[in-house]
Amino acid sequence: MTTDWKTEVNKCSKCGKCQTVCPVFLETGDESTVARGRISLAEALRDKQIVYTDKLRDYVYTCKKCMRCRTVCPSDVDYEVIISALLRGVADEMGIPLLPKIVFRYILPRRILFDLMLKIGSKIQRFIPGKRRGQMRHLPLMFMGKRWIPVLAKKTALKKLRTTRKLKNPKMRVGLFTGCLINYIYVDIAESVVDVLNRMNIEVVIPQGQLCCGTPSSTMGDHKSTKKLAEVNKEVFESQNLDAIVSACATCTKSIKLDYLRTLGPSWQQMSDRIYDISEFIEKYCGDDYKTKPVDEKVTYHDPCHLMWVRGITDEPRNVLKKSADFVDMDMAGSCCGGGGIFTIIHYDLTLKMLERKVNSIERSGADTVATNCPGCIMQIADGFAGKDSKIKTTHSIQILQKALVNGNIDKSV
Amino acid sequence: MKLFKKTEKEINKYQKAFDELLMVLGKERVLSAIEDRICYSFDATKQKALPDIVVRPGSTTDVSNTLRIANKYEVPIYARGAGSGLTGGAVPLMGGIVFDLKNMDKIIEIRPDDFTATVEPGVVTKQLQDEVAKFDLFYPPDPSSAAFSTIGGNVAECAGGITGLKYGVTRDYILALEIVLPDGSVIKTGGRKLRGVVGYDLTRLFTGSEGTLGIFTKITVKLIPKPEKIRTLAAYFRDRDDAIDAADQIIDNNILPRTLEFLDYMTINAVRSYSGTDIDEDVKALLLVDIDGTDESISYEMPIIENACKGSGAFKTKISETGKERDAIWADRRSISPALYNIAPHKINEDICVPRSKIKEALQRIDRINDQQTIYIANFGHIGDGNIHVNIMYNNDPGQEELAERIVNRVMKEVVALGGSISGEHGIGNKKSQFMEFEIPPREYDIMKRFKNYFDPKGIMNPGKMFIR
Ligand SMILES: Cc1cc2nc3c(=O)[nH]c(=O)nc-3n(C[C@H](O)[C@H](O)[C@H](O)COP(=O)(O)OP(=O)(O)OC[C@H]3O[C@@H](n4cnc5c(N)ncnc54)[C@H](O)[C@@H]3O)c2cc1C
Ligand code: SF4
Ligand code: SF4
Repeated sequence: MTTDWKTEVNKCSKCGKCQTVCPVFLETGDESTVARGRISLAEALRDKQIVYTDKLRDYVYTCKKCMRCRTVCPSDVDYEVIISALLRGVADEMGIPLLPKIVFRYILPRRILFDLMLKIGSKIQRFIPGKRRGQMRHLPLMFMGKRWIPVLAKKTALKKLRTTRKLKNPKMRVGLFTGCLINYIYVDIAESVVDVLNRMNIEVVIPQGQLCCGTPSSTMGDHKSTKKLAEVNKEVFESQNLDAIVSACATCTKSIKLDYLRTLGPSWQQMSDRIYDISEFIEKYCGDDYKTKPVDEKVTYHDPCHLMWVRGITDEPRNVLKKSADFVDMDMAGSCCGGGGIFTIIHYDLTLKMLERKVNSIERSGADTVATNCPGCIMQIADGFAGKDSKIKTTHSIQILQKALVNGNIDKSV
Repeated sequence: MKLFKKTEKEINKYQKAFDELLMVLGKERVLSAIEDRICYSFDATKQKALPDIVVRPGSTTDVSNTLRIANKYEVPIYARGAGSGLTGGAVPLMGGIVFDLKNMDKIIEIRPDDFTATVEPGVVTKQLQDEVAKFDLFYPPDPSSAAFSTIGGNVAECAGGITGLKYGVTRDYILALEIVLPDGSVIKTGGRKLRGVVGYDLTRLFTGSEGTLGIFTKITVKLIPKPEKIRTLAAYFRDRDDAIDAADQIIDNNILPRTLEFLDYMTINAVRSYSGTDIDEDVKALLLVDIDGTDESISYEMPIIENACKGSGAFKTKISETGKERDAIWADRRSISPALYNIAPHKINEDICVPRSKIKEALQRIDRINDQQTIYIANFGHIGDGNIHVNIMYNNDPGQEELAERIVNRVMKEVVALGGSISGEHGIGNKKSQFMEFEIPPREYDIMKRFKNYFDPKGIMNPGKMFIR
C-alpha cells in the first residue's frame, strides 16, 4: 500500500502494451492519452523538468482511471498510484476550480445541503425547456445541448428506504452503500436491492449518515475532501455491526473497498474484506439457494470498467442474469461505455465515440435489454439509446433478477 | 516555440522550419508543447531524447510537405510508429522532429482475389491480421508486439516473430511500398502482384531501412490462406542440449512447425519464481511447438513431433486439444517479460541469430562469457530459425551496467564468429550501431552508406541510427 509513485514510474519499460486496451488511446492514437505517456510526464515532473500547466492538467484529466492498462502491463506498474499522484499534484499545485471545490468541501460532506442542492436542481430541471424522452431529459444548456440525462428523483433512496424491514430470522445483516447516482436518480435500483436481498432472507440496513464515496473529489485530486468523506463513511458503517456491505455501483464498490485502503490505511482492511458488488455478494452467499422464473427477455451484460478491470468480477453478474432471463453475451462487453467523471465533461466528443461502439455491440447482440452493475454506465448507455430512439432498455442486473423472482412469485430462499 | 540546447543558428533554422510547418499543416498536426515533446521522447529501449516538435501527419501529402520543409532547413526527422522498438529507432537523438505516423491508420483495401492488402503505415499489425482473417486470409509475420506495433514500424525494422520458421518474416510479405523521400517526392516500389522481377528490388532495400531512407506512406502486403487449425505441444527436458537436438530432429523429419520456441533454465527459473508455473524444478529446457494445418495433417505430424522430443530426451510432453489448453501452455512463454523484470530492474534484450547448426555452441559460448555468473542471463526464443533472445539482466549496483554492456559486446563478437547475425529482428538503431561493423565488411558497409547518402544527402533521416558517423 505504500507504493511510492516516484519509484513506481521506473518500473514502466515503455513497451507500449497499454495502448492495446486504453479506451482513450484507441480513439486518439495520441501518446499523451495513454498510461505510458502520462508516466513519462510523471517522470519529468519528478525530475523537475516540467511544472504543472493547463496542458498537463488536461492530459492528466483525460485518463478515465478505468485501470484497464494495469491488467495488461507486463511490468506490473501500479498505474493507479501514479495517476492518483498526478491528480493530487494538479490539485495541490494548480488548485481545484471553485465550483467543484465548494461542492466537495462543503456540500458532499453535508447530506442536508446536498439534498437541498439537488432538490433545487430537480425543480430547475423540470422548468428548463428541453425535450423529454421517457425518463430522460434533453438539457439544452448542459454539454451544449446534446446530452440526455435522467430526471432527478422526487424523494431520495435514503429517505424512501429509511426504515429497515426486520426479518424474523435473517441469514445475514448487510449494509447498503447507496452512492449518489442511486440515491438521487436511480432510487428504484436501491429498492430492488433491498427487495431481492429480503427475498433471500437477508436484512438490509441503509445507514442514514452515509455520504458520497469520494470518487468525484479523488478524481480531481482533492484528497482533503476524499479523506473527510471516507472517515465519515467509515464511522457510519462501522457503528452498525454488519456482516457485509453491498453496493450496486461498480465505482462506489471500488472506491470504498480499495481506494479507502489508501485513504484510511490498514484500519479499513477488515471492513474492506467484507465489501461486495451486489451480484458478487449474491453469488457468494445465496448462489445456490434462490429460485427464479426467468423473464421472457433477451438480456445482455455490459462490464463496467471498475468491476471488470479493477476487480476481475465478470462471471457473477452473468450467472445471476443467466438465472433471470434469456442471456446473450455481446462482443466487446468489457469495452468502456465512455461514461464517468470529468472526462465526460472535458472530452464529450471522445465519450460519444466510445458510446457509439458500445451501443453498436449491444445492438449486434440482439438483446431487448442491456443490464449492467453501475448506475454511471446505465446513465451513459441510456443517453446513447435515447439519442437514437432505440427500443433497447437499459437497466441494472439486480432489477432483472428482481423481476425473475417476482415472476416466479418467489419469496424467501428455497 | 521554446527550444532546448541549440545554437543560435540552429534555433533560427529550426524556427523557420517550424513556422512553415505550422502554416502548411495547421496547429492540430504540429505539437510543440513541452508535454507533447516529452510524450514522444522515448521508445521501448527507455532511452530518452527531447524532440523540438512533434508532427502528426494525416496523409501522404502531409508527409511530403513535412519532409520537403525538414529537408530545406536540414532539420532531423524521426519516423515513429508505436514507439515499441527495442533498438532506439524512434528516439530523436539529435532533436528536431518526431514524425508520429500513428494517425495514418486506414486499411485501404483488402483484395481476397489477389491475396493482397494495402494499408497505411500506422495500422496496428494485429488489426490487419484480424481484418484479413475475416476473409479466411492470413498475414503471418507475428512479432510479440503485434497487438500494438505498427505495420510501418514492422516494415522499417523487418520485424520477425514466432511464426518465422514456417512463414518467414515481414520482408517476405511486402509486395509494394509508397515512399516519401526526404526531398518530398513520392516513389512507388513493387506492385499489387505476387511476382515482379524487373530491375533492382527497391522494396527489399527499404524493408529494414529503419527510417533512414524515406517514410512509408502505403504498404501492400501479401496474404496467404488461413490455416484451419493450430495445435501446440510442450516438451520438457532435463538437459538443454537435448532440447536443441529435439528441435533438429523435428525438422529432420521434414516437418516445419509454425513455431518452435525454446526456453532455457534461467528463463524457466524466472517464470517459476514469478508466476508459480507447474514446471518441475529439474526442467532445464522447454520447447513449445505449434503446428498448423488440417485435422489430418496435424494428426499425422503431432505424433512424429512428440516422438522426436521423447527420443531426444524429453521426459514429459503436453499436447493442447482446445484453445484454452493452448493458452495455458503458452502462458509461461508470455510471462517471461514480467518474470525477468522480477529478477532485476534492467534488461538488455538482444536478438542474435546463428545458423541453426550452431545454436548449441552459441549458448555454450554465452555461458563461458558469463562464467562468473554475476549477471543473470536468460536465453529464449525462436530456436527454429536460430534467433535467440539473450536477455542480460542487471541491477543498480555500481559497475553492473558496464559489465552488462561488456557482456553484450562479447556476445556479439562470438555470434559473428559463428557466422551469425547481431540482430535477427529488432534492427540496429543506435543501440547496436557500434556492432554493425563486426558483421558487415568495410566495402559492404560503404555501399550501404552510399545508398543512404543517395536517398538522404542532407542526412536528416533518423540521424544517429544504424551508421556511426
Ligand atoms: C514487448 C515487445 C515485444 C517485441 N517483440 C518483437 C518480436 O517478436 N519481433 C520483432 O521483430 N520485434 C519485436 N519487438 C520490437 C518492436 O515491436 C518492433 O521493432 C516493431 O516493428 C516496431 O514497430 P513500431 O510501430 O513500434 O515502430 P517504432 O518503434 O515507432 O519505430 C521503429 C523504427 O521504424 C521506423 N519507422 C516507423 N514507422 C515508419 C514509417 N512509416 N516509415 C519509415 N520508417 C518508419 C522508425 O523510425 C524506427 O526506426 C518487440 C517490442 C516489445 C516492446
Ligand atoms: S504496459 Fe506497463 S510497462 Fe508497458 S508502457 Fe504501459 S505502463 Fe509501461
Ligand atoms: S486508466 Fe484507463 S484511460 Fe487511463 S491510461 Fe489506463 S486504460 Fe487509459
